[in-house]
Formats: sequence, structure tokens, C-alpha cells
Amino acid sequence: MSDTEKKTEKEEKMTLDDAARVRVLSPGMMVLKRFLQNRLAIVGIVIIVCMFLFAFLGGVLVPYSQSEVFYTTEVMLKDYAGTTVIDQYQFVNAPDKELPKDIYSKTIMAATKKDYAFESRSGGYYGISPVGDEVYIVYSLTPENGLFWKQQEFKDAADAGKNIFEKDGELYLFNAFTERPDFYKAEEIAVGSMRSFTAYSSDTRLSYEFCREALIAGANNAGSFKADGTEYQLNAGDSGELIYINGEEYAFVSPMNFNPVVSGTYLSPAYKMTALEAIEAGEESFTYPDNDGTEVTYILQNKNGQYLIRRNQETKVIDKYASPSKEHIFGTDGNGMDLLTRLMYGGRISLLIGFVVIAIEVTIGTILGGIAGFFGGWIDNLLMRLVDVVYCIPSMPLYLILGSIMDWYQAPATARIYLLCVVMAVIGWVGIARIVRGQILSLREQEFMIAAEATGISVRRRIFKHLIPNVVPQLIVYASMGLGEVILAEATLSYLGLGIKYPAASWGSIINAVNDSYVMTNYLFVWVPAGFFILLTVLAFNFIGDGLRDAFDPRMKR
Amino acid sequence: MKKFILKRLLISVVLLFFVSLIIYAIMRCMPTSFVENQARALSTRPGAKSYQEWVAQLNAQYGLDVGVLQGYLRWASKAVRLDFGDSWYWNQPILEKFKNVIWYSFALGLATFILEIIIAVPLGIAAARKQYSLTDYTVTVIALIGISLPSFFFATILKYIFSIKLGWFDLSGTVSRMHQSMTPMQQFWDIAKHMVLPIITITVVSIGSLMRYVRANMLEVLNSDYIRTARAKGLSENKVINHHAFRNTLIPIVTLLGGSLPGLFSGAMITEQLFQIPGIGYTSYVCVMQGDIPFVMFYLVFLAALTLLGNLIADILYAAVDPRVRVG
Repeated sequence: MSDTEKKTEKEEKMTLDDAARVRVLSPGMMVLKRFLQNRLAIVGIVIIVCMFLFAFLGGVLVPYSQSEVFYTTEVMLKDYAGTTVIDQYQFVNAPDKELPKDIYSKTIMAATKKDYAFESRSGGYYGISPVGDEVYIVYSLTPENGLFWKQQEFKDAADAGKNIFEKDGELYLFNAFTERPDFYKAEEIAVGSMRSFTAYSSDTRLSYEFCREALIAGANNAGSFKADGTEYQLNAGDSGELIYINGEEYAFVSPMNFNPVVSGTYLSPAYKMTALEAIEAGEESFTYPDNDGTEVTYILQNKNGQYLIRRNQETKVIDKYASPSKEHIFGTDGNGMDLLTRLMYGGRISLLIGFVVIAIEVTIGTILGGIAGFFGGWIDNLLMRLVDVVYCIPSMPLYLILGSIMDWYQAPATARIYLLCVVMAVIGWVGIARIVRGQILSLREQEFMIAAEATGISVRRRIFKHLIPNVVPQLIVYASMGLGEVILAEATLSYLGLGIKYPAASWGSIINAVNDSYVMTNYLFVWVPAGFFILLTVLAFNFIGDGLRDAFDPRMKR
Repeated sequence: MKKFILKRLLISVVLLFFVSLIIYAIMRCMPTSFVENQARALSTRPGAKSYQEWVAQLNAQYGLDVGVLQGYLRWASKAVRLDFGDSWYWNQPILEKFKNVIWYSFALGLATFILEIIIAVPLGIAAARKQYSLTDYTVTVIALIGISLPSFFFATILKYIFSIKLGWFDLSGTVSRMHQSMTPMQQFWDIAKHMVLPIITITVVSIGSLMRYVRANMLEVLNSDYIRTARAKGLSENKVINHHAFRNTLIPIVTLLGGSLPGLFSGAMITEQLFQIPGIGYTSYVCVMQGDIPFVMFYLVFLAALTLLGNLIADILYAAVDPRVRVG
């Protein structure tokens, strides 16, 4: 009340040539002036402009794409190698010789039964001859009918504890240390032992003769042996034998088998020795320099006689839920995608859907509402009943159903967006139709329309030039508020996982991550920004709509 | 008056017919994965019929084997006798399931309805009394924030603060773990406690529109001639507001509130789903996800009927409360 009093006082004080009095604003300018005076509306405009810049310009400027997955390196304890105590005979074949498949079991049987000749499952006779502790030379045999048990060579061999002898340039093997064993003609094909060989340099191939002689020498505690015309020195240690050639390390024989997890990894004898020493000492870890000379710690794990060697290794993993950092200002989401980028692209979709839906709604609503209001009568009745019917269809459950239908048909992401727009518009136009009809009904009876009719202007011109412009203010108000509603509905749908789908982003679908309560509790940065973006945008549209309503309708102002 | 109500009722029935026809047509587009899954399960039983036969039989059983119009008439002829069939997912008559769950939704709806009125009406009037004052701006901003808040986001924030950080309420559900061993009084409070967060969510999200409605109507009333006359008479401001303005502003408000009474039964789909309240909204949400066509069909028609009923009540109230409105 006091306001109006003040105003009238002011007006009384003005003179006729007062500048404020002379300046007359057009109706449009008046609206604009009133609108700009509304602080909330200005705040809304600023927010919307910022959102548009953020979504459309930001999406261009940001160096990442919306579905770019980021990786990070993480130090993880990974299996490096496995070692097993060799409990089966390992065979080194003589050149161009083959062993039967059941040689492993047959050898063990023969060694325990001390019956050194046997027949393999695939036929063919084989025999072994012990040359040291758990070292056997394997022969391929042919049964020999000759009786050798009175021969001197046999007796000498038996006395020396060998089941093999040479006679007339042929090798003969007998199956047991008895008076009258069976005799076979023998041909050497392999050497078997419970030890494995590692050469010092990865490109050295160890020859059969070398292996054979080394094993024999090792089993007999000999300090040196000769193979392939070269003299080797042998040094037996706790964890295996080291073989030197002219004082230089050449090969390593160990009772353990090493298998690198990544095939092709070369495990050097020195490394194996370190590992074996650690195992012998019962330690849980050991260090060994890698190629660059840095000490790497390896962890030993005993699993039923097998040792697992593990080490910390840098591994490439998807950068999930990374906290905000310089590279990712809002962090990353559960798929390792940059949240800032997704917020920008999601903003595009949210804003775009809002505008598209409202545009369709306004078009349908204005046309149908305009027709109903202008023509009246049965057309009006029919159209308004149609409006009533559509108004009664519950929107949210319907969106959910449509979402699940689209899920069922596995609609692609873009098709979903378009379909969503159309469906929301088809449900939402009734409000606009009602407003337009009501407004036109009241305008139709006003004097200016009678005057327009009297001047004989065509119906189309009367509708579009005289009626529609008078409806526009209310339309704009309704549309700006409706924009907010549409954005909210889309966000809700996407939140439920039925709207915009991965890989396309939307603000709602970003918040979808809170369905995982671990994310909700621990990764606030994933869902809070998206929520505030929705809130701010919808709020801004409501501010603008509110300000426009006040600006268009000064009656509300006291 | 009787004639008016009768006419409106008839129109509503016709509208409901068309609405349910449209809904039925949409429902028929729904993926029938439920039928197919069930047929698959049944056909794997020992000695069972083939999958194809089961699909055919189930489709016939559920009335999916005929055209949309024929199927609708079949459905409608049963529905008018309140026979909505059995829910596929819950495996019991729809009305029985409905009776079990509707009271949760009604309790939620009623509590929010009362809270809304208690908060929104006084605030709206206060805002209108001092237009463009700090109070008005505050109320406007609060109302608009409420309208703009995505319910799922607000609910999540409430859960985060009150359930996770403060531990005052459970995250979801209607009863706590020890519910069975409580006395009836404790059980009531237990359920009430679980309803607090959902009620806050729905209230905050929906309070804005009522607040703005009250404010707008109060402003209109305050701008009318009879208020000027009342002031001119020299009445005190309180008397002007409480006797002349408030009573007149009640007309549209009562109409609006009366019209929203049926809405108390409609359930809040999103909020109930967020808090796992087994009301009609949550039940239907599950049914939509599971492809339970009969139940969703029932729920949608139920909602449409509620909307029509609300409009009807609003119209009648409008005519009854405001003597200026002549019923024709």
C-alpha cells in the first residue's frame, strides 16, 4: 500500500517535459525492462548461458571424448615364476632319437624294481642303466638270444655294478643283477635324471653329450669331465652343480624346475641359484638385480611343495573412480571415463532433449489448441476430449514401459534419444493446448477481434497475426517452466537406466552410479556434480519462467 | 447439481474407456519376455511339452493370442466386474496384491499431503503479503528449488547424510531387523521411522507447486477491489488478511487440494523404488521391469481413474465452494 502511495507522489512531482515522463516504452520494451529488473530471472539467465557454454563450447574445448577410457598403471603383486622340485625323470634325448611316451613311468618302475629292461606300451624294448644316483642312461633294446652269462665281460660289468657291457663292438644290456639275466643288444638314446639344465647365456644350446657327461660327473662327484672334446670343470653346491669352461660359468644343473609365468622370460642360472638358496634357507623373499641393475624384491610362496615366485609389477588398469586431479578435474567414473567430459556431453543431451521436446509440444499444442479455441463448437469439444484422454495417461510409468520396450529391442543410443523426445512431446502437449485454447477463447470475444473480423481479414491472418501473438507471452512462460520439467523427467529416466544409455552420457545416467552403494558412500565426486547440474539448470529455467510471468503480467504487481 | 455430477461422471467413464484402450494398446507392445521365460522354464521340466506349445498355451491363457481390440474388449468386460486377473510376477490376484500394498502408499501420501498443507499454505500467504520482500524471495527460491530438485538426487543426498553419515535411519525398507521381536507400539514407531526420509523427499519435491499456487492466488485476491474496499474502510491489516483475503483464497486452494485427494492412492513410483517401500508404486515398478503386463495394465488404468476422479472432485468442489460458479 505504501508503495502505491509513494509512486503517486512521485508522479505528481513530475513536470510535463520531464524526461522520464516523455520517454514511452513499447510494450515489448516494458516487458524486457521488467524482466531485467527481476534479479532471480537474471541469475537464471546467467546460469543457462553458463550451462550452454559449458556443454556446447566445453565439449569442443575439452581434449577428451565422452567415451574415452583412461588407464593408469598400478603396482600389483603378480606371479613371476614357479619352481617345482623335480620328482620325475627328465630326459635329454640323444640326437635324432625318440623316446616312448610311457618312458617316465616305466623308468620309475624299473628303477625301483631294479629290473632294468622293459617293454613300452607301444611295443619295443627299452632299458636303463644306472650311472650314478638317480641318473640313468636309456637304451633302446633288441632281445638277444645269445647266452652271455659265462662271458668275462658280463662278470666284470656285474662286479662293477653296471648292467651294461661291450663285446665285439656291440653294447649289451642285462636286466638284473642275477646269475642268469636276460640279455639285450642296446643302443643309447637318452639320459634321464631328476635335474634340469640352464645355460648361462640364453643362446647356448647344450649338447646331448654335454648333458650326459655332466650328469654322470655330477652323480659321481667328479671335479671335471670331457664332452665334445672340451674340458669342463664342475663345482657341486647345495643347490646344484655349476659347470665352468676355462674358469668361466657355462651352465647350471639344479634339482628344481623353473617355469616363468610369461613364456619367453629368460631366467638366468644366477637368478635360479639365488632363488634356490632362498628356498633352501627357508626365506620368504629374496632380491635379485634386474637388467637395469636395480634390486627387485621377489616373494616366495610355498604351495604344496611348489614354490611361487611373485614380484610387484606395474600393470595397466582402467582408471576407475579416480579422484579429481589435474588431468581429470571431476575424476573418472566406473568405466574410467573423464567425468568432466561426460558432464559436458551429458549437458548437451539434457539441454537438447529439453528444447526439442518443448518445440514439438508447442507446435502440436498451439495448432490443436488454436483450432479448438478459434472454431469452438464440436471441434473444440472433440479436441478437448482428446486432450482429456492424453492428460489421463500416467506419464512416468509410461516412460518406464517405453524404456523397457526399447531395452527389449536393443535400440541404439541415438534412436533412444529421438524416440524419448517424441514420446515425451506426445504426452506433454496437452498443457499447452489447454492454455492456448483458453487464451484464444477469451481473446476471441474481445473488441479488437470483432474489429479485425469487421475489416474482412482472412481467417488465417486473424489467427496468426492477431490471436497467436497475444498467446505468445503465456506460451513462453509455460515453455520455460516446461523445459525444466522435461529435463527432470529425462534425468529420472536415465537415472533408472531406461533413458540415455552408455556410451552416450546424460546427467541422469551419471548419477545412476549411486545404485552401487559403495560408490554412493565413497565416491561423492561421481554423483554430486551431476545432481547439482540438473538442479541448477532446472532451477534456472524456473527462475526465467517465473521472471517472464511477472514481466508479462504486471497485474500481479501491487 | 445432480445433473451436473451425473454428466461429468458419464464423460469420465467414456474418457476412461478410451484411456484404457490406449494403455492396453501400449501394453501389448511390451516385451513378452515374461511369457517366454516362463515357457522356457516349463518346457525344461521332465516330460513337458515343447517350448513352442507352451508359448502358445501361455499366450492363450494370458489373452495375448488375439488382436488388440478383441483383447481389450475381453479385458474390459472382465475389468468392469473388477476382475483384473492374476499378477504374473507376484503370482496372486491383482486386487489382493493391491490391497496388501496400497496402504503403504496411502500412508506416505497422506503424511506428505498434511505436511505440504501445513508448510505451504502459511508460507505462500506470507510471501504474497509482502511481495518482493526478503520473505517473498526466500519462499520463491525455496519453492523453485523444491520443484527443480530431481527426487532421486535429493533422496540420495538424504540417504548419504542421514543414513550413512549420521546413521539415524536405515537406508531402505520399511522395517528394521529386529522388527518381529518388538511390541506393537515399537513396531509402529519402527515403520514410522523408516517412512521419515521418503516423506521428506516427496514433501520437498512436491511442496513448491502448492506454495506457488497459494502465493499466486493470494496475490490475485489481494489485488481485488473488495480488499481495497476493506482497507478503505480502515480495517486492520490482520482483519483484512485473515477474514477477507484468506477466505477468498481458500476457494481455489480447497479445489486444488480436493482434486488431489485421489492422488494420495497413486503411489510415488520413483521415491518408493529408491527407498524400497513396498507400496503400489514400487510394486508396479518391479512389474514394469519384469514385464508383468496384467499388473501394469491395472496400475495405469487405476492412475487414470484417479486423475479423472480428481478432476471430478475439483469441479464439484469448485461449484460447491464458490457460489459465483453456476452449474449449468
